[in-house]
Amino acid sequence: MSETTEWKGYLLSHSNGSLLLQSPYIHDGTPVFGPDSDSTTMAVAGIQYLHAQGHKFTTIRLPQSIDAQVVYMSTSVDSPQRNQDLDDDVVDWHLIDGEEATLVLSQSDDEHYEFDEPIGTEIMDDELFTDMKAAWEQECSLQHVSQGAYVSQSQYYEGGAARLSLASQNFDGSIIWPPRQMDSSGVRLPKEDALLADAATVESWTKLSAAGAPSEFSLRAPILGGVQTVLVKFEEGPRGVFLVCDDVEYSPRIGDQVHFAVRRIYAQEGLIRYGLKAIPQSA
Amino acid sequence: MFVAGDGAFLDSTGGTLGFRAESNRLNQMLVLLRRVMVDVAVIGAGQTKYGNHHLGLKGMWAEAAENAFASVDQNFDPRQVDEAFIGSVAFGGGQLGNTAALLTEHSGMEGVAVRRVENACASSGFALRDAWMAIKSGQADIVVAGGIEKMNDLSPERKRFWLGVSGDTEWERLAGLTFPGTYALMARRHFHEHQSTHDDLVHISVKNHMHGFENQQAHLRKQVSFEKAAGGFMVADPLTLYDCCPTSDGASCVILAADHVVRQFTDDPVWIRSSGAGSDRLALHDRPSITQLVATQKASKSAYSAAGITARDVDLAEVHDCFTIAEMIATEDLGFADSGQGGLFARNGEGIRNQGSVCLNPSGGLKSKGHPLGATGTGQAVEVFKQLRGSVESERQVRDAEIGITHNVGGSGATCAVHVFGRDRNE
Repeated sequence: MSETTEWKGYLLSHSNGSLLLQSPYIHDGTPVFGPDSDSTTMAVAGIQYLHAQGHKFTTIRLPQSIDAQVVYMSTSVDSPQRNQDLDDDVVDWHLIDGEEATLVLSQSDDEHYEFDEPIGTEIMDDELFTDMKAAWEQECSLQHVSQGAYVSQSQYYEGGAARLSLASQNFDGSIIWPPRQMDSSGVRLPKEDALLADAATVESWTKLSAAGAPSEFSLRAPILGGVQTVLVKFEEGPRGVFLVCDDVEYSPRIGDQVHFAVRRIYAQEGLIRYGLKAIPQSA
Repeated sequence: MFVAGDGAFLDSTGGTLGFRAESNRLNQMLVLLRRVMVDVAVIGAGQTKYGNHHLGLKGMWAEAAENAFASVDQNFDPRQVDEAFIGSVAFGGGQLGNTAALLTEHSGMEGVAVRRVENACASSGFALRDAWMAIKSGQADIVVAGGIEKMNDLSPERKRFWLGVSGDTEWERLAGLTFPGTYALMARRHFHEHQSTHDDLVHISVKNHMHGFENQQAHLRKQVSFEKAAGGFMVADPLTLYDCCPTSDGASCVILAADHVVRQFTDDPVWIRSSGAGSDRLALHDRPSITQLVATQKASKSAYSAAGITARDVDLAEVHDCFTIAEMIATEDLGFADSGQGGLFARNGEGIRNQGSVCLNPSGGLKSKGHPLGATGTGQAVEVFKQLRGSVESERQVRDAEIGITHNVGGSGATCAVHVFGRDRNE
């Protein structure tokens, strides 16, 4: 029986050099995604896991269900789906999207794998599952448009690497994140060429009531009882604000350690905006 | 032309041009000097009541302007206005472009050089500063500064889109933050660093509701007990409903005049002794500290210095208390309390009218008087103008008030304007 590993909110199992990722949530006997997860966020987590294990690959074949641009901005792993110059036959790894909330990462393009059932699943509340599914379907529609503050697609992509992989600028001995344009003497700062460590300390936090949350969250915040945000300081110095991953029940304390995972933030006009969310160690 | 050693003007052949040319030059210099040294006074100020207004933009502005014109002691003709600056976020987007021209068109100032000034909640604080600078520069003698916002004619859903447009939308809004959340982060950190408590914020809420209760222009004219304010509905932990200002409709209008024309309008002007302003990084997480506002510190330091005063000289201050924590932090940044001692200041009742060391928010502040974003800065100036002239409701008059300030903040502190007003001009 293969061992189950918990990684960025997912369950991982190994078999013959392949990796199974599964959402920990179960509904009606089958795995389902959590409140802010989908196959793209799970694919990113899987690639990050393999990288952390020393598999330094740069190309992958992805199914159409996965946002290849988000995978690239999060991991620097490219795919023929995103980059037409890549040959589909010579990619390093293959990702197969399961029927339920499962993915397989493999170096072969086999369609069938055998894995033991992961340990550590939990039953998802029926009402939460139904309401969140309906909310996301409505939010992802083309007719769901902005009526005020608006982060355009191009603005979203411009900050994508910083938002999804903590890409930062290394300038004059300091690490800068999120990216800035000029220093105080008017000198243009370099492009992001460093990554912040995946660890930070909570310096403050709040939980906004559903009524106080930004309207981008108005369909889901009432289901979740509000949205929770932490202000954290990275070991390298920069600070940032992040939502809490999977909207888990969590009572933060100043000084808590967190790390980060890619999750859905919100959707508008048919485009899902992804970003990093904080995973508290005490959750 | 060369200047000879004795100061006489010589032409290129060495001949004297005479004293007429010198006299003309001196006159020009005197005119220039007078312009540089010109003092600016408020000769009239008025506003609408803040709250859920039945009027639209044009009607609200006309009412505020009408009240301002009527407050001028001598007859005032709006056609005398040289320039106008009107602050507004243009909330809801209904009249996002050319807002100001529409308003002056409907208030007797048709044809005046006018523009909308936008700096989030500090829009009209900066409109006031721009108006002051227009007179100081010598380019104008009579200038109107005002502000307006219509916030309560939107559906709740549309309103929530517009309530978060002034933070760093790309980073803060995508992290689930609107301003209640941003200020909640500041509050919790202040509690942690300075041992302040939510009870300290409750004292601020109770005080401002007490001050606003007597103000006929206030949005929320109701006193609130400590127990009720302490137990309010949680909006953004740790901030409750009683820590948050309301969303208000309203307009405010202030008329400024250069010193050499003031006496045509009043023998009882209120002088703008100085104007200070500053800015800071937009996103809270990009600042070295989230328990102080550098923009406020910079603006107040500059304003106090130019007016030749310190915080101890201030009798009353209209402080930007969009959330109670904002007033607590401003108490420190404006110099009324030492750094980290804003909680103690509130606990000791130091900001209560005619009781503490300085009256903070005699109008009720944003918490009780209301916060129609673009109108707030000049609305603060309306209050200080009336307080210094002794023309507010008698029960809420700050006794022996000689110097008042306004403190107007944009967003979570990205922009700030501070003005010092006095019964007397600068010495």
